[in-house]
Amino acid sequence: MAEFECRLKKYRQMKDLTQEQLAEKVGVRRETIMRLEKAQYNPSLKLAIDISRAVEAPIEEIFVFK
Amino acid sequence: MKTNKKKIWIGCGILCVLSVLLSSWYAVAYNDSRLVVSMDFKDYVFDIKDLPMIVSVSFTCAYLVALFVMLFIHAGKKQRQAVETGVTRKINPKLGCLGVLGFLGFAGFWTYPVDGIVFPFAFFLFFGFFGFYYEGKMSGTFMDERFRENIARAKLKAYRITFGVMLAALIILCQGKLFGNLEYTLIAAIIILSLALGLGIFLSEYLLYRYDHDDQAEEGEE
Repeated sequence: MAEFECRLKKYRQMKDLTQEQLAEKVGVRRETIMRLEKAQYNPSLKLAIDISRAVEAPIEEIFVFK
Repeated sequence: MKTNKKKIWIGCGILCVLSVLLSSWYAVAYNDSRLVVSMDFKDYVFDIKDLPMIVSVSFTCAYLVALFVMLFIHAGKKQRQAVETGVTRKINPKLGCLGVLGFLGFAGFWTYPVDGIVFPFAFFLFFGFFGFYYEGKMSGTFMDERFRENIARAKLKAYRITFGVMLAALIILCQGKLFGNLEYTLIAAIIILSLALGLGIFLSEYLLYRYDHDDQAEEGEE
């Protein structure tokens, strides 16, 4: 199975967003953002697109499958 | 439900109980306990003195049917609201105490030898209501995609365990008569099916709480 790396934390901090703010922007709970940042949760395509729009970074840069 | 509406329903319930008690007293005092003690309805002939009992029992039955319909509609409305708002329904964790009703199942051990009635064994199903405690604790939680995944995960595991228990129990019971008595085998089947269904109801809520809570506990540790 492909190894999954999430660089969301980096891009979120670059946009000066807290987990709470990002969660509210993309319509999920803060816990979900936490799990995503720890690469413990695979988001749906919709959530991945919403996050990429919220932090203004390409999906493939945020979620990396090695 | 609005407080006024609740008061009206409770008031009607009290009135129904009072009317049954009064009509029972009337029947015992002035009508030779007709319709109070068990009687043979094949030879029943209507008497005007039976009217209070018939009216009060009819009203009570109508009230109970209306109450169940109303509760069913109310539960459906809450479920629809939860889907529309994306938030879990609000219930009081104290409702978990209803699980105690499961102990009514033991009444079957008394009714079966006395009257041969076995349906009270099905009350073991109510043990599943202990799950309301965990559902209440997750009241008003926003259901994002991870929470919905956890719901599906919890339900799948609960159903797997439930069907596993039922299958194993039925295979064992179908091997032959329990204590050489087919009736005991069927009673054991009722008990096991009721307990397994109760377990399924409870586990789906408990596992969801565990999945969600364990995630939060891990996050809190950091």
